[in-house]
Amino acid sequence: MDVKFNNRDPVYVQVIQFFKEQIAKGFFEPGQEIPSRRELANQLKINPNTAQRAYKEMEEQGLIFTEGNLPSRITKDEQVLKMVREELVLEAVTTFIHSVRSINMPLQEALKIVEQEYEKE
Amino acid sequence: MIEVKDVTKKFGRKTVLNGVNFTAEKGKITCLIGINGVGKTTIMKAIMALTPIDGGQILIDGEKIHKGSYEKITFIPDTITMLPQMKVHEAFMFMADFYDSWNQKRAEELLEFFRLKETDRISDLSKGNTAKVNLILGLALDVDYVLMDEPFSGIDIFSREQIADVFTSHLIEDRGVIITTHEINDIEHLIDKVVLLDNGVVLREFDTEEVRENEGKSVIDVMREVYRA
Repeated sequence: MDVKFNNRDPVYVQVIQFFKEQIAKGFFEPGQEIPSRRELANQLKINPNTAQRAYKEMEEQGLIFTEGNLPSRITKDEQVLKMVREELVLEAVTTFIHSVRSINMPLQEALKIVEQEYEKE
Repeated sequence: MIEVKDVTKKFGRKTVLNGVNFTAEKGKITCLIGINGVGKTTIMKAIMALTPIDGGQILIDGEKIHKGSYEKITFIPDTITMLPQMKVHEAFMFMADFYDSWNQKRAEELLEFFRLKETDRISDLSKGNTAKVNLILGLALDVDYVLMDEPFSGIDIFSREQIADVFTSHLIEDRGVIITTHEINDIEHLIDKVVLLDNGVVLREFDTEEVRENEGKSVIDVMREVYRA
């Protein structure tokens, strides 16, 4: 796990974002075991309190779940997994619209370029 | 919790601490930041009662420091205090003789973590490795509070990363840590709390995640604001 954190957004928020991306990309599979908060802190070089906070938040959002004393796991809830994907796509699209709008490009023209570039990749 | 309340300290006519107030909680890493000469080390020595204060009060878990406190709190100075001709294991023995809270197993664990040998002579070690041994001597004590004076200064980047690794491990977890530094960059993501000092007073005391969350600012952003104002 290699994450570059910025210094201005709360680290726990960045950790959650990282988890969402990994889930959406399929690197974290539904039901997959995740590191303990201490392991995560150590791997990401962050404060254990921050790791704890990120896990607590993700648990509340239903992204991860813990049964008894077992290690936490990625959710198997299809609904939640779908929402994560949608949320990330929406974020990317919003950023895109914002940038394109600020240079006054009409939608049709922008979409054409999107299509061209999408094919290229 | 360590409570520093309205502490004043003078060296001759020079006022070094002019009513310093802050707290450091257990389970958190608190960072004292300020340019050289603002009294960071003096505060640590005052907490340890290694230097008398002229006013105010310092409490550790609600008590003034006493003889027994030294099994509960430790200070890692910026230079090693062991004799240079000692070997690492001799320094360990010295600590074991001195402190009930010495944890030999943990010392050995740390030694391995830093890839050092107990047969090394302190005077033969590089600056970075001496700093690591110094750190081990403090961290191998089973104490609730650890004060570290400039653990990162004058050390190469890899050693710094190694030391930073210690902060995210079980070796630090659940303890209260106060560190001083003037290079915040490496450890910005590791610390819970910052106390900004200048001219013998605390300019600002804040929780790093809170400031990122509520103000969208990094520690450096806040420092810029506070010190340039």
